[in-house]
Amino acid sequence: MSMAASWVEVEFEAIFREHYQRMVRVTRRVLRCDSEAEEVCAEVFLRLYRSGPGVAAGGLVGGWLYRTATRASIDALRANQRRGLEEELEGASSGQNEDSADGPLTRLLRGERIAEVRAVLARLRVEKAQILLLRYSGHSYKEIAEAMQISAASVGTMLARAEAEFSTLYERQHQLSRKTSQLETAKERR
Amino acid sequence: MKHSDLNQGILRAYLDRQLDPGQVSAVEEHLNNCAACQREVQVLGEYAACVREGIDRLPHLPEAANVAIAWAAFQRKREDAMASEQSKWTLWKKLSLAGGGLAVAGLVVALTVAPVRAWAESLLAIFRVEHFTVLEINPDTLKSNGLQNNQMLNQTVGRMLSDEVTVTQKPQRPQAVADAAAASKLAGFPVQLLSGATPAALVFESGAGVQMKLDQDRLQSILDEAGRSDLRIPSSVNGATIGVRVPAGIMAFYGNCGDAPSRLLGQEPDSDHQHHIVVGVGGGSNKSHQEADATCVALMELPSPTVSAPAEIDPAQIAQVVLQFLGMSANDAASFTQTVDWTSTLVLPVIRGGSSYEQVHVNGNEGALLRPTGPRQSDRFSLMWVEDGIVHALNGTGDDTTAINLASQLE
Repeated sequence: MSMAASWVEVEFEAIFREHYQRMVRVTRRVLRCDSEAEEVCAEVFLRLYRSGPGVAAGGLVGGWLYRTATRASIDALRANQRRGLEEELEGASSGQNEDSADGPLTRLLRGERIAEVRAVLARLRVEKAQILLLRYSGHSYKEIAEAMQISAASVGTMLARAEAEFSTLYERQHQLSRKTSQLETAKERR
Repeated sequence: MKHSDLNQGILRAYLDRQLDPGQVSAVEEHLNNCAACQREVQVLGEYAACVREGIDRLPHLPEAANVAIAWAAFQRKREDAMASEQSKWTLWKKLSLAGGGLAVAGLVVALTVAPVRAWAESLLAIFRVEHFTVLEINPDTLKSNGLQNNQMLNQTVGRMLSDEVTVTQKPQRPQAVADAAAASKLAGFPVQLLSGATPAALVFESGAGVQMKLDQDRLQSILDEAGRSDLRIPSSVNGATIGVRVPAGIMAFYGNCGDAPSRLLGQEPDSDHQHHIVVGVGGGSNKSHQEADATCVALMELPSPTVSAPAEIDPAQIAQVVLQFLGMSANDAASFTQTVDWTSTLVLPVIRGGSSYEQVHVNGNEGALLRPTGPRQSDRFSLMWVEDGIVHALNGTGDDTTAINLASQLE
C-alpha cells in the first residue's frame, strides 16, 4: 500500500504511550466493557498508523486521536443500541470497588441509569456527544478545541448548547423510564 | 465588559474557570450589575450539573491499566491487520483495472451503483460494465484538494476499505497457461486472442470479491478529515452492504513486454503492482523494471466486474459527492451525473493534460481510447471496450487505426 510517509516506530510508540490510557478512559464511558473500549482505541491507533504522520500535519496528533476515538466510540454505542446490547454488569464494572459489595438489585438499577445516559448521548448529534464526553472526562477547552477543530472561543458556546440539549432529553428519558417501570409494576400486580 | 460583549459561550467558560484572569474580573464586574446574565449563569450551571450527574454515572477506567501490555497487544494486532490489509488493497487495485492515474475509477465504480433489477429475495441491485466514459479532471483542483499523485485519495480509499470490508473471494497467485483453450477452461468464458500471433506469455488470474458495509457517519468523518465537510454523504447509504466481485480473467502479452509477464507471474497474490501494465496511462512509472518496447502488446480480458447494492441507494447522488471531492463544482457534478447511466457505465477519470482520450467504436461496441500525453509516450495507447459482457483492455504502441485494427483481430 502506498503511504505518504511512514511512522518512526519510537515516535509512534511515544504517542501511543502518551494517549492510550486517557483514550480508553474516555471511550469506556459509552462502551459496554473494558475490552470493547480497548478494542476501539487500538483500532484508532491502527488508523493513525496507516494514515502516516501526515494526518496530523494540519493540527496536533492528540486532537486527531480524541476526535477519532470519541467518534468511533459513539458509532459503536449507536451500533450497540441498534442491536439492543447493554453494559456488561457482571465483573466488568471496573474500578468501582464498592460494586462488589452491592446487591444484584442495586447493580441492576445502576445498569438502567447507565443505559438512560447512553441513550441520550446516542441521540445527540455526534459532535455534541463528543464535546460532552471530552469535557466531562476532564479535557480543557484548549484540548477540546484541538480535538473538535474549532476555535477555543467557541468551545463554551458549543458546550452550553450540548448541555442544554442533553438536559432536556435526559429529563424526558428519565420520566419515560419511570413511567415504563410503573406500568410494569401495575401489570405484575394484576 | 458590556452586556453586548457577553455571550453564552463566555459565561459557560466563566463557570468552568476557562477564562484568563483579565476576562474573569470583567465578567464578574458585569455580573454584579446584570440580573439577566446572573439568571443565564444560573441556568447554564443547572444544565451543567444535570450533565455531570448523568455522565458521572457512566463507568470509566482507573489510571492503573497497564500501557506496556496494551502496547505489546497493539503491536500484534497491527501485524495481523497489515497482513490482511495488503490483500484488500490488491483487490481494490484489481477492481480499478489499473494503478496510477486510473485508480480513481475504482472509487467511482464502487460508489456508483444502481438498481437495475430487484433480486427476488434480497432486493439487490447489480451494476455491470457495458460502457466506458471518460471524465476529465482538472489537475489544479486536485492539487488544491491535496489529491495530487493520488496519495491523499489512496489514503482516503484505504481508510474506507479498512473499516468494514470482508473478503468473500481471495485472489490466488496468477498462473501461466498454455493456450486459449486452456485459458477458456480456467476462466469460464471463451478467451479470444490475436489471430495469427502466439502470445509470449498467457496468464490466468483468479477472481476476487469483497463486501463492504457502508457507515454514513464514518464516511462523513473521512470527508471531514480530508477537509471537505461541505460535502454530505446521503443518509440512504447508511448500513448498506456493497458487494464487489471481479471474475477471473486473462492477460496475454505479445512482443517484447520487458519483465511485465514474469512480474505478474512472480507476484504474491497480496502484492501491490497488478495491472500497471494494462492501462499505463497518466501515472505509475515503474522505472526500476525492465521496460517494454514498441512491439509489446498487452491484452486483458475479464467478464464485467459486478457491484451489488441495496435498491434504495441512488448512484447519481453518490457520484455527485465523489465528483465534487475530485474537484468538480456542484453544478458541473450535477449536470455530469445526469448524462451518465450509472448502472452500466464505468467512469474513467483522467487528469487533464496527463492523458488524452476519445470515444471510439470497436467491432460495433463503444470504447474508450486513452493515451498519455508525455513526451516519448504519446504513441502508446490503451483501448478499452466491452464485447459480449467481457471487458477488454488492449495496450500497445501505434496510431488510432493500428489500435482499432488490432482489436478487430481477436478471435
